[in-house]
Amino acid sequence: MSASSRPLLEVRHLATEFDTEQGVARALDDISFRLEAGETLGIVGESGCGKSVTSLSIMRLLPKPAGRIVGGEVIFDGQDLLQLSPDAMHGIRGNRIAMIFQEPMTALNPVYRVGHQLEEALLLHKPELDERQRRDACIGMLEKVGIPAPERRLKEYPHQLSGGMRQRVMIAMALLCDPDILIADEPTTALDVTIQAQILQLLRDLQRENGMSIIFITHDFGVIAEICDRVVVMYGGRIIEQAEILELFDHPLHPYTRGLLQAIPKLDTEPKSLLKTIPGMVPSLLDFPPGCRFQNRCEFAEPRCREETPPLLGEGHQVRCFRAEEFR
Amino acid sequence: MTWYFLRRLLLIVPTFIGITILVFVITRFVPGGPIERMIAEAQQASLQSGGGQQLGEGGQTLDEDQLRQLEEYYGFDKPVLVSYWEWLLKVLRLDLGTSTRYSEPVWDTILERLPVSAFYGIMTMLITYFISIPLGYWKAIKHNSHFDHASSFIVFVGYAVPSYVIGIILLVVFAANLEWFPMGGFYSEDFEDLDSFWQQAEDILYHAVLPLLAYVAGSFAVMTFMMKNALMDNLAADYVRTAIAKGLPFRKAITRHALRNSLIPIATHFGNNISVIIGGSFLIEKIFNIDGLGLLGYESVVERDYPIVLGVLVISAILQLLGNILSDICVAIVDPRVQFK
Ligand SMILES: Nc1ncnc2c1ncn2[C@@H]1O[C@H](COP(=O)(O)OP(=O)(O)OP(=O)(O)O)[C@@H](O)[C@H]1O
Ligand SMILES: [Mg+2]
Repeated sequence: MSASSRPLLEVRHLATEFDTEQGVARALDDISFRLEAGETLGIVGESGCGKSVTSLSIMRLLPKPAGRIVGGEVIFDGQDLLQLSPDAMHGIRGNRIAMIFQEPMTALNPVYRVGHQLEEALLLHKPELDERQRRDACIGMLEKVGIPAPERRLKEYPHQLSGGMRQRVMIAMALLCDPDILIADEPTTALDVTIQAQILQLLRDLQRENGMSIIFITHDFGVIAEICDRVVVMYGGRIIEQAEILELFDHPLHPYTRGLLQAIPKLDTEPKSLLKTIPGMVPSLLDFPPGCRFQNRCEFAEPRCREETPPLLGEGHQVRCFRAEEFR
Repeated sequence: MTWYFLRRLLLIVPTFIGITILVFVITRFVPGGPIERMIAEAQQASLQSGGGQQLGEGGQTLDEDQLRQLEEYYGFDKPVLVSYWEWLLKVLRLDLGTSTRYSEPVWDTILERLPVSAFYGIMTMLITYFISIPLGYWKAIKHNSHFDHASSFIVFVGYAVPSYVIGIILLVVFAANLEWFPMGGFYSEDFEDLDSFWQQAEDILYHAVLPLLAYVAGSFAVMTFMMKNALMDNLAADYVRTAIAKGLPFRKAITRHALRNSLIPIATHFGNNISVIIGGSFLIEKIFNIDGLGLLGYESVVERDYPIVLGVLVISAILQLLGNILSDICVAIVDPRVQFK
């Protein structure tokens, strides 16, 4: 797909704020990215950088009344989701854009059977199906996500399933209505490594089958490398770099991205050698100084970085750093 | 599951024996028992009927023989455990003995009061649920609104002021001054003459308004906050977010998903209510002159009418124990994670 044709989803200058006890916190600032059909976009960054808030903003699921979108557009299929009526938005959620979450243990309602919770999505978005068809669709989808004996699982309660199985149920639930986009917010973080690999493989297979786009949120570059076509790197509520996956791994431009990539242990690093870490802490959203948000941890910071916010520049490979050209 | 409840039912037996044995022993050793009362009464009577008459030996009006007869009558002549055993055997034959005060079978006295207490108990419970669940629901949804704060104030007053005080206030204002409601009693004097069932029902309800208000005022505060807090917790739960992400409107996500989970703590509480409810509050019964079990039990303790005390205990202990099991059943119904083995 060429970059010039209209993307499936385009986020433009999205800004989100939260009311907190200490004042208004700007959790997202000037977030812009595109998602092409069939593509997997990774969003990566440290805890608290705004990955989840980005996905919740797109879905208009921010906790009310504390959180609100204060600017920008989310163009999906030619319409701005932020301008849609609540009812129209109900028709999008779970139907055209579906979501899975980090905690499979708590994301399913403990008091309803798996079958009931799966069917609910169909009842909402495919009312034309009769009971038999709904059941068949659920069984078929559970089979697809690799759950053995699906008929029996339909009658079970979430607590009777393992974490990996529950995440598979969540994926089945998200994919029942054949969405155009699946937003996966750290879907494997709570699972152990072998299950994690299985789930990633499953998502890849399902994507090949139905051609959906995936927004994959994680703080793990290893996972990004396995599944993503393109990556957005976030820091302190801003995008600081985005590029094709190989381009980013081979030529990271932002000092933060370079730091992150150096912090990953590799097979060819000396065993037991000290991993490089990024010194310092992320300031709280309320204490970010003017200028570049990474300045206090950046070894290349210069006076200009403390005064002006660097713009996100570049074609294809974009970076938000005044000195990026020096690293190209 | 069935096995679990069978075991719970069997466990009632030792618990029941434990409770009754304790009270039985206490009745034996508390001073001022029925014989002492009778002696005192006899003394009183002989003093009044003419001071000149000679008192019996040792200043007693009852001689040794009479005393022995009385002791035998009350079973005080045998060791306490033996007479407990005899009492228990009689209870098993559904014979609770005879009231020393009314000289009537205890069963009859209790059965006379039980419907009154059950009526108030069940009505109080229904009204409490009927108010608390919707009120807690709205308070959770409108958390921090004016409605939330205003209703919290009322709930706190209901919680802080003892229900008998509320009863007295209601009585003074609405019965004595405004004369909107009767001063007390379960029904009017001419109740038997009312011809239709509906008129009788109306008469009972008319008498019930104020006492019910007092009962409910005392019980809905805890339940309302329990409901509100449970719902607030569940509103923030991940599965509610999942439901909304699935395309459910917020309201439906609450009614279909959060609500049922919020009823779990309420259901746990359900069985505990039963015995409290049947037992009633003797203070409220006293204020409104309602002949319920609470008042009966209280008066019997004061009057040392031990057969009635024990009879009321038997009834309330069994209700309490069954209530606990009922609670478990309710919880198992609403929460599939609960597995009884
Ligand atoms: N309900 C809220 N009220 C106030 N601030 C919030 C709220 N939710 C999120 N935030 C703030 O928004 C920022 C971004 O949070 P977000 O959950 O998106 O982080 P994240 O990148 O998903 O982190 P993690 O990897 O831990 O999931 C955080 O700094 C957080 O403090
Ligand atoms: Mg997150």
